[in-house]
Amino acid sequence: MTSYILRRIFFLLLAVFVASVAIFLMIRGAGGNVAAVVLGKDATPEAINALASEYGLDRPYVVQYLDWIGQMLQGDLGRSFRTRESVASLVLVRLPVSIPLALSGLLLGILIAVPLGTYAARNAGRTPGMLVGLFSQIGIAVPVFWAGILLSLVFGVRLGWLPTGGWTGWSENWVQSLRSLVLPVLALGLILGAVLIRYVRSALLDVMNQDFVRTARASGMTEGEALLGVGLRNAALPIITVIGLQMAELVGGTVIVETVFSLPGLARMILANVAAREVIVVQSTVMLIIVFVVGVNFIVDMLYGVLDPRVRTRR
Amino acid sequence: MTAMLTMPRARLRGAVAAGAMCLALLGAPAAFADIPASPRADQNAMILAARQDPGTLDYVISNLTAVRLWIPANVVEPLVVFNEDGSVEPGVAESWEIGDDGLTYTFHIREARFSNGDPVTAGDVVFSLNEMKNSPVVDNAAAFTAVESIEATDERTVTVTLSRPSQAFWHGMGGMSGLVQPESAAGDRALNPIGSGPYRLVEYVSNSHMRFGPNPEYWGDAPAVGDVTVRIITDGTAGLNAMEAGDIDASPINTIDLWEQIVDRGLDAMATLETFPQAGEPTYAILNQKLDPGLRQAIAMTLDRQSFNDAFGAAWGAENTCTFALPHQSWYAPESPETCPWPFDFDEAMRLVQENGYGDIDLEYASLSDVPDLSLPADIMIPMMEAAGFTVTRNAMDLARYSQLVFQGRPPQFDVTIMAGDANPNQWVCTDESMAGWSTYCSPAYAEAMARADQATTTEDYDAAMLDAAAVLREDAVIVPLLAKLAVGLYHHDLQGFAHPRVGVAIEFANFHWQ
Repeated sequence: MTSYILRRIFFLLLAVFVASVAIFLMIRGAGGNVAAVVLGKDATPEAINALASEYGLDRPYVVQYLDWIGQMLQGDLGRSFRTRESVASLVLVRLPVSIPLALSGLLLGILIAVPLGTYAARNAGRTPGMLVGLFSQIGIAVPVFWAGILLSLVFGVRLGWLPTGGWTGWSENWVQSLRSLVLPVLALGLILGAVLIRYVRSALLDVMNQDFVRTARASGMTEGEALLGVGLRNAALPIITVIGLQMAELVGGTVIVETVFSLPGLARMILANVAAREVIVVQSTVMLIIVFVVGVNFIVDMLYGVLDPRVRTRR
Repeated sequence: MTAMLTMPRARLRGAVAAGAMCLALLGAPAAFADIPASPRADQNAMILAARQDPGTLDYVISNLTAVRLWIPANVVEPLVVFNEDGSVEPGVAESWEIGDDGLTYTFHIREARFSNGDPVTAGDVVFSLNEMKNSPVVDNAAAFTAVESIEATDERTVTVTLSRPSQAFWHGMGGMSGLVQPESAAGDRALNPIGSGPYRLVEYVSNSHMRFGPNPEYWGDAPAVGDVTVRIITDGTAGLNAMEAGDIDASPINTIDLWEQIVDRGLDAMATLETFPQAGEPTYAILNQKLDPGLRQAIAMTLDRQSFNDAFGAAWGAENTCTFALPHQSWYAPESPETCPWPFDFDEAMRLVQENGYGDIDLEYASLSDVPDLSLPADIMIPMMEAAGFTVTRNAMDLARYSQLVFQGRPPQFDVTIMAGDANPNQWVCTDESMAGWSTYCSPAYAEAMARADQATTTEDYDAAMLDAAAVLREDAVIVPLLAKLAVGLYHHDLQGFAHPRVGVAIEFANFHWQ
């Protein structure tokens, strides 16, 4: 088990390092710089170069990279060029929006996918199962953007039940903040749930015909009890893997949802700062997300070892 | 299919009913009923939508409209304020004298305090003007081209001496260039600009909102609507949804890509529609000056202005024009035979292309892909040019890349592009051809007319010079105006008091009140 953990940690660190270089080069490869964005289209090249130099953007790439990585390793995520706000404070302000949004969307997706996927597996080949499959197909095909606008239009504009967007803040009005999250969570969770249904169904179909499930039936369990009590546990491994991988998709989905519903979340902040070429803000924030996603997948790998003894003893 | 047909009828009816309800909810128009009454009317509060996040509130170094819409006039005031009728009223300067030769301006600073409690002094005014004089934003610094000195002659008096008369300086003191800030708080400008205006900034959360409250130190009357939130809604449809649902009270600036939607959804009837030129923009094609004049003229003749106007789907939003100006500027003229030397004439354009072999020249068209206002005109312009026989290569890029290649390109790194922006004719003045960039038009005649306008000592002389400059620009087909787009705002019917901007494009909160 120890060697398994150590191997996983090594690859985690390697992935983070490669990602840091990739992000660093990609944001610079996009062209443009924050000085030009700030000063506008009529600024002279001299003015832009002067401001860029003030921001340290005229230093060699290697120097800029080492400076940035060195600061990050010391816990300093850097500062916005334009406002001098620390990236840490920019991120902290947005976590109370993004974490509930992402986790609630994920939870909703799981709550949709597990029962419906199980139902679809039990009714494979029959009409109920096909209808669930149809719902899943529609959910996969529908863009998050479209779903968000549609939900806003129906429940916000036509019915007036929920806000079309905006954010009040938990401390200012937690009820209103909760209401502000309902539609975005629905938009995320429905789409995610539709995607996960297929994996749950597929994983359960694989285990349903296994000997241990038939044994459980033979020992007196109903089909449902055997499926949920025995089959689901064994199907959990691939499902957990997919959920871990979907975390990255979830981050991408929150960009769209945060934009449609005007939520001051992390993903929207990254998008705005990419457009403004605030390289430090983008690099540091994306690295945080990468570390988080890689960390989640590391936990998934560890769970594999817990759930499946064959994994941790395999040479 | 067979399985569906054998579904229990109750379930089938339920599914059909649910589907019908969804369609009804989606498709049913609101019968153009008014937007619900705003809960903020009783609280003397209002929420406005902003399409763009400023990123920084430092108006000295940022040229973004997202800053200029909200901070000037509300938080930070200029020395004087120019009204639409041309009259001038006091701002930070309570009174002023202008020398007969137009070379000396003496401003008497009012007894007032900034919102942080510091007194407004002549020293702060000198500091503020020097900040703008040294601003990297060309438009801010341009007002000071003729300025020789800026001095505090006593605690409440500032004297500015010019080397020559300058309309740009005087009008600049009523705009961005004349904004007055406390020297002591200049370091916090990016997040918390301080001024002597009727409001103070309470909070700015990027990509979320700006919140303003009344300035307790304001020298004038307290505003009727004290609590103002500017919510940053970058998605246009989301903004219109918020407006229709009553979640916001105003959407002061609706870009051209939303106009058709506003009409289709009936928002121009449900809310008060305000169109105004001050925050509008000319849309214009730019043809690289190095291209043969005949080629430029032929391109100009492929431009059917009405097709651009029709594409945006709202008759109230834009006017066809061949003049680089907006309707509130004295030298403006709508499209007419007299004011369009190169009117739309597709057949003539084709003839010129064939006769002169212009089709053998590969024209690079630089196109902004992430700005709908400009990618849509490009979608119209390029096929028309190609149909006339031109060979066009479209180079689509995002704003940052466009900024690098086009805005910063010296010499201009494109053959054709389309742009919209401030109706500032000064931006085209170029006296040094080696410095020519995208926004310079190196014409001695144009530079002469603009210089004559700046040094004019009467309104009549100024207008005459500007008309001459506009004529030069039209004839040469380097800058080819297409539309004079107005700014389009939507306001809750009960929210009254909208007035045309006076300090640049700033929406003045203090004018608003609830009915």
